[in-house]
Amino acid sequence: MTDRKDTKRMVETYLGSIETPAGDRVDEKVLPAALTAMHKSKPHVAPASHSIWRTIMTSKAGKVTAAAVVAVVVLFAVFDSFTQPAWALADAIEALKDYRAVHVTGVFPGGTAEVWFRANEAKTQSTDVVVRGSLGATTWTRDGSTYHYEPGQNTVYYEPAVTIGMSQWFGPELLEMFRTAQSTQIIQGKDPATGRDRVMLMCSLIDVRGPRSWVMEFDADSKLPVAMKQWQNLDRSGPPSFDAFKIVYYEDLPDSVFDVQVPGDAKRVEKPLQIPEETVGILANPQDGISAEGMTQQEAAQKIVRALYEAVIKQDMNGLKGLSPLCRNWGDDFLRKIVFKPDRDDRIVEIIEIGQILRTGQSSLGPIAAVPVTLKLKNGKKVQEQMIVQFRSMGDRSSCVIHGPYGIAREIGQ
Amino acid sequence: MIEDRFLIWRFNRGDSAALCRIYEKYRDGLLKAAAALLNDRSGVEDVLHDVFVEFALSVGRFELRGSLKGYLAVCVANRARDRNRMVRRRGSVDLVEVRPEPASVPGPELEAMSREMVAKLDAAMAELPDEQREIIVLHVQSKLPFREIARLREISINTAMSRYRYGLDKLRSILNGELGS
Repeated sequence: MTDRKDTKRMVETYLGSIETPAGDRVDEKVLPAALTAMHKSKPHVAPASHSIWRTIMTSKAGKVTAAAVVAVVVLFAVFDSFTQPAWALADAIEALKDYRAVHVTGVFPGGTAEVWFRANEAKTQSTDVVVRGSLGATTWTRDGSTYHYEPGQNTVYYEPAVTIGMSQWFGPELLEMFRTAQSTQIIQGKDPATGRDRVMLMCSLIDVRGPRSWVMEFDADSKLPVAMKQWQNLDRSGPPSFDAFKIVYYEDLPDSVFDVQVPGDAKRVEKPLQIPEETVGILANPQDGISAEGMTQQEAAQKIVRALYEAVIKQDMNGLKGLSPLCRNWGDDFLRKIVFKPDRDDRIVEIIEIGQILRTGQSSLGPIAAVPVTLKLKNGKKVQEQMIVQFRSMGDRSSCVIHGPYGIAREIGQ
Repeated sequence: MIEDRFLIWRFNRGDSAALCRIYEKYRDGLLKAAAALLNDRSGVEDVLHDVFVEFALSVGRFELRGSLKGYLAVCVANRARDRNRMVRRRGSVDLVEVRPEPASVPGPELEAMSREMVAKLDAAMAELPDEQREIIVLHVQSKLPFREIARLREISINTAMSRYRYGLDKLRSILNGELGS
């Protein structure tokens, strides 16, 4: 070895040759821990410019429910000033019309995930969804079922219902739905980082999966949602359950995007039928639902499901709330928009068939059952939905009540 | 640098995406630095974990002076030093046992340097005093200028440069001795 320069060159070569663990492996260990740490100590103060935000529209705070709205994500821009005199939700609605597919990238407390959505041709609801997590877990829908692969257990968990996706596609109706929600706030401002005008929509709901709240950020120029956050509570407290920082829109996507391969030797395990504990208390009022005295569970389930859809077809608001008490806290406008759909040609007009109980489970109140229903829409299409019925025994009386939809409705043809 | 300042600005407002971007941007370099500084290379992931968790906990109050890359690299050096000391306190560590085997498919750099020489440099680096080893790694591997190392380490630039020179000289001496024997 001659001199310092040679030593330095040798050290450079040596340092370049050092083996390090694979990036993916390190990511799995480091990134979720760092994100969790950040969320735990995230400052709860609003940005300094908060005082100059402007609330364009605020209605009474309150709990609102969306039937099977399995939504979406968040934003993270900071608004430091506002420049636009007004921002119309209708602009965003118009901007969303052309897109049938969406790719969302985000983080959740256990890692990162990318989500691919594709809508049906009419762009009314999602039909294909794939969620790919950073730790190898994958969730997807196929042929009316939902699958979740856990690589650590080499197991596929499945359930015969589409429990991920959007019952209302990105577009006019979704935004209309949010607009009618009682808790919706729209705030506008300017993103100091990019100089672009941004609009933020905040909303909270209790759906059949429990309480949820969202913040969605729209680019004021393109009118497209560009980021979203979702919390599993109504007040957006704590770390979000999903924080989508990137949303890309496509006119369509190839089928291959939604192909999922799992090892041939993976175990198959059916997920039990469950309802969130937070919603059970709402189902306990003996005044709601119908008597099940003298009936089998099958008979009682078919009777209450029929009564529910008859109330929907007749647009009987009180009848609907009495049979499905989760609806009771919802604003009537909102309920009309997402359940009755009076101005839409995909509203329910006929009950074709109510099937046998497909699955059963147990909540802390008693047995539950999923009942399939085939329905005809005004546009002539047929859809199949599943409704979860909660059975109760109070004193010496048996009764049942509707919990809500089990997954998203599925088109089954004309 | 401007990007880093913007990322820090967003990070301090709780932006998860900013933290992800910072992590992705500096992960590979910091892994290399940790591997070069640790006597027990199995702790590389732990060092990076601790550095980023600590960094994440500073959200809302992190102040960037100098470069973010330099700050994170020095955090890695501090963690690596603590870990090396902890291992030493626990007792002797057989470096041959704890170091991972070289990859079965060597990269171009490894092909250019024999495995025997890599093993000798591993051992020689482990013999350097911590302060000399850190400055060699921070300067050669992390490409930090002496001025920044001096500022981050709160030493004079001359001291930083001297430690670097002494470190290289000692390495040369160790390797020459090895080669001679």
